[in-house]
Amino acid sequence: MDPRRIHFSSDTSEEQAREFAKGRGTVDCCYPVKCISGHYGELLAREKKKLDVLFSPMIYSLPSFMHGHVTDSLACPRVMAAPENIKAGFIKEEDAFAARGIKYAAPFVALADRPIVPKQLFEGLRDVFPGLTLRETQMAVDKGYAALEEFNDELRRRSREVLNECAEHDRPCLLVLARPYHMDIGIGHEIEVDLQANGYPVLWGQYLPTDADLLEWIFRDDLDAGIISSPFDISDVWPSSYSANTNEILWGAKVAARLPWVAGVIRLSSYECGMDQPTYSPVQQIVERSGTLFFSFQDLDSTKPAGSVKIRVETISFYLEKYSADIIAKKKAASPPACPLAAVA
Amino acid sequence: MKLIGVDVGSTTVKAVLVEDGAVRWRDYQRHNTRQAEKVLEFLSRMESECGLTAGEDRIFFTGSGAGLLGPFVGAKFVQEVVAVAAAVEKLHPGVRFVSEIGGEDMKTVFFTPTGNGTAKQVYMQSACSGGTGTFIEKTARKLQIPAERLAGMDYSGLDLHNVSSKCGIFAEADANTLVKAGVPVEEIIASLYEAVVYQNLATLTKGNTPMPEVLLLGGPNLFFAGLQQAWRHHLQKLWSERGIELPDGAEPADVIHVPEEALYYACLGCVEVGSGEDESVAVYQGSEKLRWWIEEGQHEQKAKEGGRSLASEPSELDAFMSSYGKPGAAPTAKSLHQTNPDAVYLGCDFGSTTAKAVVLSATGELLHHSYVMSKGNPIEDAKSILHQIRAAGYENVGGLAVTGYGKDLLGDILGADVGIVETVAHATAALHFFPDADVICDVGGCDVKIMLLRQGTVADFRLNSQCSSGNGAFLQGVAERYDTPLEEYSSRAFEARAMPTLAMGCGVFLQSDIVNQQRKGWAAEEIMASLAAVLPLNVWVYAGQLQNLAACGRKFILQGGTHRNLAVVKAQVDFITERVPDAEIVVHPYPGEAGAIGAALCALERAGNAEGSRFRGYETVEELNYRSTTNDDTVCSWCECNCRRTFIDVELPGGKGRTWSKIPLEEGWERVISGNSCPKGLLEDVNEMRIVKAELEETKRVFPNIAEMVRDDAFKATRLAVEAARRNT
Repeated sequence: MDPRRIHFSSDTSEEQAREFAKGRGTVDCCYPVKCISGHYGELLAREKKKLDVLFSPMIYSLPSFMHGHVTDSLACPRVMAAPENIKAGFIKEEDAFAARGIKYAAPFVALADRPIVPKQLFEGLRDVFPGLTLRETQMAVDKGYAALEEFNDELRRRSREVLNECAEHDRPCLLVLARPYHMDIGIGHEIEVDLQANGYPVLWGQYLPTDADLLEWIFRDDLDAGIISSPFDISDVWPSSYSANTNEILWGAKVAARLPWVAGVIRLSSYECGMDQPTYSPVQQIVERSGTLFFSFQDLDSTKPAGSVKIRVETISFYLEKYSADIIAKKKAASPPACPLAAVA
Repeated sequence: MKLIGVDVGSTTVKAVLVEDGAVRWRDYQRHNTRQAEKVLEFLSRMESECGLTAGEDRIFFTGSGAGLLGPFVGAKFVQEVVAVAAAVEKLHPGVRFVSEIGGEDMKTVFFTPTGNGTAKQVYMQSACSGGTGTFIEKTARKLQIPAERLAGMDYSGLDLHNVSSKCGIFAEADANTLVKAGVPVEEIIASLYEAVVYQNLATLTKGNTPMPEVLLLGGPNLFFAGLQQAWRHHLQKLWSERGIELPDGAEPADVIHVPEEALYYACLGCVEVGSGEDESVAVYQGSEKLRWWIEEGQHEQKAKEGGRSLASEPSELDAFMSSYGKPGAAPTAKSLHQTNPDAVYLGCDFGSTTAKAVVLSATGELLHHSYVMSKGNPIEDAKSILHQIRAAGYENVGGLAVTGYGKDLLGDILGADVGIVETVAHATAALHFFPDADVICDVGGCDVKIMLLRQGTVADFRLNSQCSSGNGAFLQGVAERYDTPLEEYSSRAFEARAMPTLAMGCGVFLQSDIVNQQRKGWAAEEIMASLAAVLPLNVWVYAGQLQNLAACGRKFILQGGTHRNLAVVKAQVDFITERVPDAEIVVHPYPGEAGAIGAALCALERAGNAEGSRFRGYETVEELNYRSTTNDDTVCSWCECNCRRTFIDVELPGGKGRTWSKIPLEEGWERVISGNSCPKGLLEDVNEMRIVKAELEETKRVFPNIAEMVRDDAFKATRLAVEAARRNT
């Protein structure tokens, strides 16, 4: 199929929900899940280039760089079930998909378990795309994972560049610990952009560099002491390591605590997130015990609380400016020698 | 035999009397919080006008006041939604959707035909004022629109503006902003109707489509022509979007009904339900007991429920007063730099309604404080407060720091050494005296701030400046109502031996709750005590959303002018101690000036590390040459509010000027913008936006953001590539 025939819904926004999700809401308190109604509604309402298929997979598990070092890499069960849950709002009285001649495809996929993905997608899509073969699906899946790897590698490379720069000049940077959907401007409200504008480079937990030399340096003491079995082992702080994004957030907290130039951590979470709630204290404690500043923006929902974000950002900037140099010095003193980042290299 | 249905609502009482299937008597009236009295009046009239007879006729009650009052007259209680549904099924068998909007609640009912009858799904909302009748009326009152005019005002054909649909108080604030911006009241009211319909459709449909035919019930739906128009507009739009066909030949308007007796459906439903009951049920017992309740019972009840007071016995109050009653020994503050021991350090807190300033000695001792009410012109406010300080004899200024909204506007003009965000100012003031502070609770006249401290920083905070729930203005309003000077509030409140229990939460409902308690016979000091008692709940739980106080820490600092009121302090101490038994609670030695003190301390700290002050000096400030411009060219065009801003141009050495502006400014001048209602309005126009954006882009280039790269690479870049390819084919 011509890739140009693949269309995406636009960025999440309050207007999108107002316009397209009216009366389609189903019972789910998870704000990011609720947003999906607006995306479905927008895609269904298209006048030009009407859709043939609405593809919204039920993602059971996620490809995570920590897979193999943790119990599992599952998606949040709410997110996994979201396609079914949101669909319900569109078929309650009348099948809104059928009424517009749209096939609804929500195959169940375990993206962490790469070998079985082609089969899952093939089973889920063979009726949607008549003539689809398993071989074709296999090829597409291989391409997809390759593209994802390339994308991730590039961003990790750029994160390392930022860290090199900070290490070289002993300058602070910020690390955001959040779920990937907080990068959606309608869910995370670009809060990290406001901090960036105050003169702080921003790293994101899921894209921290994973180069062996750096991780060996960061976790050397813990590895030597036998506290962890690999740099990605988080069993010392989070024994129930089954959720991919949660694992990554906990791991990010450990890295933040050990990387001297991460002077502050910004935690984002959405309204009443049941997955995030148990992680609030451990993440905060891991980060703060190292003397790193920790600030959280919780209960984010549809509106960007612009006034309070401004005050928060100014508050954070004030303390970063005041304490960064001390924090970096103190953390450097507690670090192993010979950091592979530019400063010591 | 007559059947009577009485609907005792939050703002009105409605009643019908039915005999032989026909309505013989009906009325509805506002009860102005005297529910029982109004019900008694109705019953007496039915007795004299229609011969309502005890021991013979039957009576059914529904509505929020029914559970309390019904039993006094032998009435049976019928749940409101059951009543409304019964009436609708009888009178309009074809109706599939009902919206009933009341004074303080709203409901929707969906009827779905099933094999042997109709399935009903009911949704109701009564915890908040958003989307209810009060929501509309409160704003209309503020706009001074009389009820008769409001009833006739239109929705159709008017420009709509953004008005919060979530909260009556937010909506009122939005309406204020729109008024200030010169938006006609007609458009504001139309926007309110839009908000009400939106709120009903957004929260009370849960995936169901309101299908024709539709019935709109309740006072607001009946009385406000514009609200009916808004419903018609939205329902028609929804039906056409969802391809819902109307019955043959019907126009959308034909299937949306607002029956003339829309107010009486709950009453009629009571009668309908009652007619199916056994004749021995709900026989009218006469109004004697109700009369007893009005004259004696409610007062006895009052005495019973009011067993508690702010202090249960004199010894408890004495103990409290000995800890908090008089200013304690001055707490030990951190030692401070003394590079210039003769200089003083100024901290100014420019708030939205007041400006405060303090003078600290080089050792951090508070020497003086001043206070002015804001006149709306930040330069005049600054001149006036600095003039007071100079008049008090403090000439040798070693440093100046500003905080509050004025910090961005006035920093350069006054030559402030530091501009401090409010949170940091308050935290600095608290930590100076109490280095082990965990939580700061600042309750001002118009806002509530809670700051959680960790590692010497404000790690988290809650700010409530939009909703009146929890702030000090309420106490002041009530004190004024009872002619009590604010300084005497606490001594009067401590006199109360009992007090009513007020409901936490929505300030709109709290107002009517106070009136209600007053009518029950509670005295001024008792109401004042209860208001102080409910304040911590509103501050911590409702405004602060903090359920677990123990997790916040154990040392609590109370700041803000409202904590000068000892009745509030007592309530705070009890509230906090109950949740955090080992809590240490202290009132800041200068509660009202904490923000300004924090700023001054920052100026003092900076003076230890830097050379000289940037302060332009009293004379320069007093002689500041400035001109204000307010005309069509200063109107903000970032959104449809179109605020009429004021440009205040100040002559300052080194001023950059604004040659690109519509109102050009020569070099040697700086511009301050006021009269804007949101931060965006601080940018003059697209020209300034361009300049700011260019600076921002440069900052972004130097300080990269991985999330932005993800957004660009994963979505924008892919989308652009695909779109380009699409264009090329």
